[in-house]
Amino acid sequence: MEKIISIKDLNYTYPEAKRSAIKNLSLDIYKNEWLSIVGKNGSGKSTLTKLIDGLIEADSGTIEVAGQIINEENIWEARTKIGIIFQNPDHQFVGATVEDDVAFGLENQGMPREEMVKAVDEALILVKMADFKERDPQSLSGGQKQRVAIAGVLATKPQIVIMDESTSMLDPDGRKTVLNLVQQLRSQQDLTIISITHDIEETELSQRIVVLNDGQIVSDGKPEEIYDLGADLQKFGLEEPFTSELVSTLRDTIKLPDGYLNEEELKEQLWKLHSNM
Amino acid sequence: MEITFEHVTHSYNPNSPTANLGLDDVSFKIQDKKFTAIVGQTGSGKSTLVRHINALLKPTSGTITVGDRVITPETNNKNLKPLRKQVGMVFQFPESQLFEDTVEKDIMFGPMNFGASADDARESAHKMIKLVGLDESLLEQSPFDLSGGQMRRVAIAGVLASDPETIILDEPTAGLDPVGRQEIMDLFKSLQQDGKTIILITHNMDDVANYAEEMAVIHRGKLIAQGIPQEVFNNQELLKEDLLTLPKSAAFAKELTEKGFSFEKLPITINELGTEIEQQLNGD
Repeated sequence: MEKIISIKDLNYTYPEAKRSAIKNLSLDIYKNEWLSIVGKNGSGKSTLTKLIDGLIEADSGTIEVAGQIINEENIWEARTKIGIIFQNPDHQFVGATVEDDVAFGLENQGMPREEMVKAVDEALILVKMADFKERDPQSLSGGQKQRVAIAGVLATKPQIVIMDESTSMLDPDGRKTVLNLVQQLRSQQDLTIISITHDIEETELSQRIVVLNDGQIVSDGKPEEIYDLGADLQKFGLEEPFTSELVSTLRDTIKLPDGYLNEEELKEQLWKLHSNM
Repeated sequence: MEITFEHVTHSYNPNSPTANLGLDDVSFKIQDKKFTAIVGQTGSGKSTLVRHINALLKPTSGTITVGDRVITPETNNKNLKPLRKQVGMVFQFPESQLFEDTVEKDIMFGPMNFGASADDARESAHKMIKLVGLDESLLEQSPFDLSGGQMRRVAIAGVLASDPETIILDEPTAGLDPVGRQEIMDLFKSLQQDGKTIILITHNMDDVANYAEEMAVIHRGKLIAQGIPQEVFNNQELLKEDLLTLPKSAAFAKELTEKGFSFEKLPITINELGTEIEQQLNGD
């Protein structure tokens, strides 16, 4: 697998803070991977994305993006490879219409108008918001707003998309739509997705989960491996997955296989037990 | 204090072509000293509804009774302070309303605004900061130096400091991590056990199942169901029309019915679900 981001021995302490926000952190992220970074408030996950996007500068260590170690000179170039979707869609809108808004990032890049109109249309089609292009962004629902924000990011043709808690303010339907859309775009557009969340249930579409605690990686594995930590996840401020909590209440009286079971697997197990009665 | 809505309609921009009904003929009671959850999709009218309880919005028609106070379309903005002291409101992302230069002053603002002396307000600030699970030493800091979760707690402390009888919470845990969310929810439950009326707007059906005693479902400005969560989550009509999301346990139980299990009523918490499954598998 080809690495797209390679982080080595990264350290960062906020000015005047007593504790470091990121401690000796090393992490490789692969092309076309969906990586979830989970951890409680203050675990360092947002700091890590700010470092990757060059919004703050590390005290020591290196970050390589698409083969280039980022520094003050090339940070702008590195940033064109990365798109970020933030938590609050309301803080991201600048345009009076949906299409103006999507065009904003392209105008900043100095794209000629004709090309821009095409790029905006394409991006809005990808997120299924083409019918809304003349609407005022403020009149949209939360999920629709985040889809427009994603279009704005896609229009700039990034290789890496960072979702910084970008579904935490959406209602359950809006959240599902956005996550499924991201999954689809990842394969269509060969994107690498880094999603940051404290909600373990939002990580089920990702291929790998990294758990951060106090600025360090405390666990790194496939979703089923991380979910299998069960109640131990609470130590890191995370919620125990639903099936794992249910299985632990059942284990006393009902024989179930070891390890993490997702909803489908647990249903199958219970069904078997029920049929054998 | 009991809160009663009688035929309350609220129209946004009533005399313009874009008029739309935020609330449409809503009648119901919120019981005194209970924990009531109000649920509904984004834009359904939940926030519009609760803003009538402390007269931030006035009805276009109908009346709201809060204790012995009656709010009608004619209610003017004079003399609302006693009502607003009784009904505290924690808005979504309340940390965006912090503004003083120390945490202490921010928490003191509410009580002083309602006429408390500086000494009493300060005493209240010291009590409340501990109640919301923060260290007293934070009182001297600027609220803007705190983490998001801490700011949220300071904002909640500010509302509690005026000692309201009824506390309205508009998605108070949005954006908090799971541990922070549970701590805040437990705090509201304990406030209720100490005699407060809690009204919670939320999208989290597990919080409804675990904490609320009563729930109301709003859809397109109308009240479409009310009752204890166990009953409302078993309302077949709502489920068929997809007007209500189920708590995880109920959703899982529903799927188990396709695998040979049968539930007289869908269990809504993990403990209830676990007990039901055990009984059905162990045959007692």
